[in-house]
Amino acid sequence: MPVTKNTLALATYVVLFLIILAAPLYFDVFWLNRFSKFLVYGMLGVAMALCWGYAGILNLGQGLFFGLGAYSIAMSMKLASPTSLAQGSDTPIPDFMLWNAEPGAPIDLCCITNGSFLWIPFKSQFFGIAMGVVLPTLVAFAIGSIIFRKRISGVFISIITLAVVLLVRLLVVEAQPFTNGFNGLTDLGYLTVFGHEFDPYYVSTYYLIAISLVVVLVLARILVQTRSGLILQAVRDDDRRARFLGFDVPAYQIFFFCVSAAIAGYAGMLYVLVAEFASPTFMDLAFSITMVVWAAVGGRNSLLGACIGAVLINMVEATVSETPQLIEAWKVIMGLAFVLAVLFLPRGIAGLVSRLGYMIVRKPQKMPAARADAVDAEPARAG
Amino acid sequence: MLDTIFIGLSVGSVLLLVALGLAITYGAMGVINMAHGEMVMLGAYTTVLASIHLGIGLLGAIPIAFMVTALVGYAIERLIVSRLYGRLLDTLLATWGVAILLQQAVRLSLGLAFFGITIAGLGTGLQNVRVPAYLSGVISIGGEQVSLYRAFIILVTILLTLLTWFIMYRTAIGAQVRAIMRNPDMAAACGIDVKRVNALTFAYGSGLAGVAGVMMSGFKTVFPDMGTPMVVDGFLVVVTGGVGSLMGTVLSAGLLGQINGLTASVSNDIIARAVIFAVVVTIIIWKPSGLFSYKGR
Repeated sequence: MPVTKNTLALATYVVLFLIILAAPLYFDVFWLNRFSKFLVYGMLGVAMALCWGYAGILNLGQGLFFGLGAYSIAMSMKLASPTSLAQGSDTPIPDFMLWNAEPGAPIDLCCITNGSFLWIPFKSQFFGIAMGVVLPTLVAFAIGSIIFRKRISGVFISIITLAVVLLVRLLVVEAQPFTNGFNGLTDLGYLTVFGHEFDPYYVSTYYLIAISLVVVLVLARILVQTRSGLILQAVRDDDRRARFLGFDVPAYQIFFFCVSAAIAGYAGMLYVLVAEFASPTFMDLAFSITMVVWAAVGGRNSLLGACIGAVLINMVEATVSETPQLIEAWKVIMGLAFVLAVLFLPRGIAGLVSRLGYMIVRKPQKMPAARADAVDAEPARAG
Repeated sequence: MLDTIFIGLSVGSVLLLVALGLAITYGAMGVINMAHGEMVMLGAYTTVLASIHLGIGLLGAIPIAFMVTALVGYAIERLIVSRLYGRLLDTLLATWGVAILLQQAVRLSLGLAFFGITIAGLGTGLQNVRVPAYLSGVISIGGEQVSLYRAFIILVTILLTLLTWFIMYRTAIGAQVRAIMRNPDMAAACGIDVKRVNALTFAYGSGLAGVAGVMMSGFKTVFPDMGTPMVVDGFLVVVTGGVGSLMGTVLSAGLLGQINGLTASVSNDIIARAVIFAVVVTIIIWKPSGLFSYKGR
């Protein structure tokens, strides 16, 4: 059987899946909890690669979708927490709403603070779960419909998405009685699905996240190889030509923008499950750009590369964070790695590895050196 | 009413101060420099260091900060930005990496912290700069009490804007910069050393950010992360005003400043900032090329 790039990629996928799924055999629950956060970041890496690498849309506001997913599920979990049930009312009330309520306001979700009635449907955790994906997708659809139908491109998309995420962040902070402002939603209860409690330190919770990541990776991979995935890549490379060929370019862009947002929202939900809080910091500019860093270092054109990049970077970061002096040094290393990756490895570690791997297995036939260079030197599309 | 307008003017002048340098680098070179906020930060730290180690006050720190940040900007252009021409989004990302490095350089006392050496004035902590006595206090304009330092900032901003206008429109190098803005290839064909001019443009833009940093240090706390929100504000101003239009940047800074001042006077600062974001998003969607752009490129 001839060894191609696809079989190499397949082998990497299989190895990664085995490592992820076998991890509970070797680590205790404390480490599994940390590891599951890294897997969530890996999912964000996939969403980023899909949006940036395959669609050419540099979304600097991915944190918005992550945050929307996180807040949706966190609202449901907040209402399930014991403290919400012990506020002197028959129905659950988040404790911070009482602190923020006007004196004499009725202790009921309907009208305790402005807009608190919006919390009512979140009493159903299924609603919270659904919203965690539906809300980011709808918002992405709204934003995407406007910017892609108006044919806004390149850096303007980045600036718009950046401004939107900062705008929403400000509103979340400002709406203290509704969202608990800066403090975010803490002291959450457990998510309970069909009688099963997802305690963040249960192995089952780890498996939920690990399997979710596997499914997301496989689905995303299949999606980019479908016809619409190919058209999308054509749009990324030359949108004008795709338009002349008769394709409805914005439709493909909007679709993949929404898929990426849905993945990010789903990742936000899973994050809340293991981290047990939702906070406006999810919508910080730095977090959204950090996601781009993971994808850039791992390989923006590779779903797997961006995923592994995100997981590895966070694993190393968590390890060095034990010593305070190293934290600062780590940021230096990240900044440097990022600059160097952009300058010299536009396709990230994935590009490097796939080139090396290809050269090793193909050694006997001796690939011309010039062509091997051409594969990686192919300029990354900007704008 | 007059004081609201003055607050808006004051906010606008700070916005313009930061955006002016960006208007030049982004407008002339089409480079999104995410490290621009860090240039402001470096300017502010130069003021701190100058007063601690050299005993130089705020006014004296202005030329030093300009030189320091212009040199850093020159180095960044030569080492990184010049390798990424034509890859706009990659420049954005690479300069974000540079921004992190500059922040860490300040936090770690230029790396000396690893050897247990700390420099007074650097490090993770907060720093403050004392405004000289002749710039503090209030003056009265038209019966309104106005902070003298705020008025001073407005004055400096006007002077810098005029200087930039003069360089861009009345000097030989300015003509070259404008030629590159219109069409870099044609400019090169006419014998303009595009690389050199770009490096100088970038250095000048960074230098302006350094001066902005000096002014900021007089009324804001100085800390390593202070630049990040500024670069965002600066970009919003430049993009709203229109790429490559100095006049557009000035007007949009004034416009956004007034909107900010008015909204803040009826609600609060957070809402005012949110309104600014909303206005800018609407404007970019409605006119991606900005309010006051010209046809070109």
